[in-house]
Amino acid sequence: MSSAPEDVQGASDTERPVEMMDYFMHLEYRELVCPIVLTYAAALMRGKILGQISPKSGLVFVPPRSYDPVACVWLGDEHLVELDDRGVVTNFTIVTPVQYYGQEKTEPFAKASILLDGPGGTLSLQDILEIPPEEVRVGMRVEAVWFPESERSIDEIGNRSWGSAAGCIEGWRPTGEPDLPADTFLEKVY
Amino acid sequence: MCSTPAVADRPISTHVIEFPYTRTLGPVVGPFLTGLRDGTIRGIRSRDGRVLVPPTEWDPNTGDALDPSDVVDVGPGGVVESWAWVTEPTGKHPLQAPFAFALVRLDGADTALVHAVDAGSIDAMSTGMRVTARWRGDRIGHITDFVFVPEAGK
Repeated sequence: MSSAPEDVQGASDTERPVEMMDYFMHLEYRELVCPIVLTYAAALMRGKILGQISPKSGLVFVPPRSYDPVACVWLGDEHLVELDDRGVVTNFTIVTPVQYYGQEKTEPFAKASILLDGPGGTLSLQDILEIPPEEVRVGMRVEAVWFPESERSIDEIGNRSWGSAAGCIEGWRPTGEPDLPADTFLEKVY
Repeated sequence: MCSTPAVADRPISTHVIEFPYTRTLGPVVGPFLTGLRDGTIRGIRSRDGRVLVPPTEWDPNTGDALDPSDVVDVGPGGVVESWAWVTEPTGKHPLQAPFAFALVRLDGADTALVHAVDAGSIDAMSTGMRVTARWRGDRIGHITDFVFVPEAGK
């Protein structure tokens, strides 16, 4: 889709030949949010993280998605479990932001996968707070930093928001507990 | 980006994907859009003498390279060869009131250009009708620098 004229910039010169064209691809779509995602979002607003535990594989999925893609079984409300808001970093990426359109960050930051305590379940792409990104490590113990209840929002949570708790959990901070060796949680990483 | 209404509302999430980019236009489309900015519609003469509008770098029938120096002025009047009425334009359409998308063969051209016709009413549209370009005041070298209007209503 090419841009509407008001989106086009830099071609207002009335003398130079037109040699370049600015495009602005814009796609907006709407979709029904799955009931289980609404249940998950409502719980986040109350400060609870919900997942679903599969009776077949024993794996925990967070956010819940009403099926276990590993064991190929449907999951229902009866499989909902409340998960701990503490866990361990099982993987992370340090992003050095390139200033492309829409990038609001200017300094390097870490995005981490966090395996929650208790029955498990991994939230991915979580922000690590209070320490510089180069100090993030696999095995680090962390706890959720919730936004105050009055400031929480589920605006960014949809069917495709992956492990998002954005709008309700600001990020995760180190607890100061000793790191866990990777082999203690390796089989829970999936 | 996406936004989800409050849980009690209708459970619909809205997602937006945006991607700005710039492309070069090349030796034929560049002069075509430069012409539009300057208020002229241009085509290109193929080796067999036909005039193609919009102009292309290659003959679509034979694949032969065309010579950018063979760009020629056409229009601004032309004939509607086919058309479809757009009853409910979206924000991305060239006109915000109901209009026609039409294949318009400009005077001096052998092929038809797809463009909008601001006819006001579906009843004003017919195959074979004459149209002419209505230029924007603030032209930038973009296909939306003009739309067609019925020639009688110019």
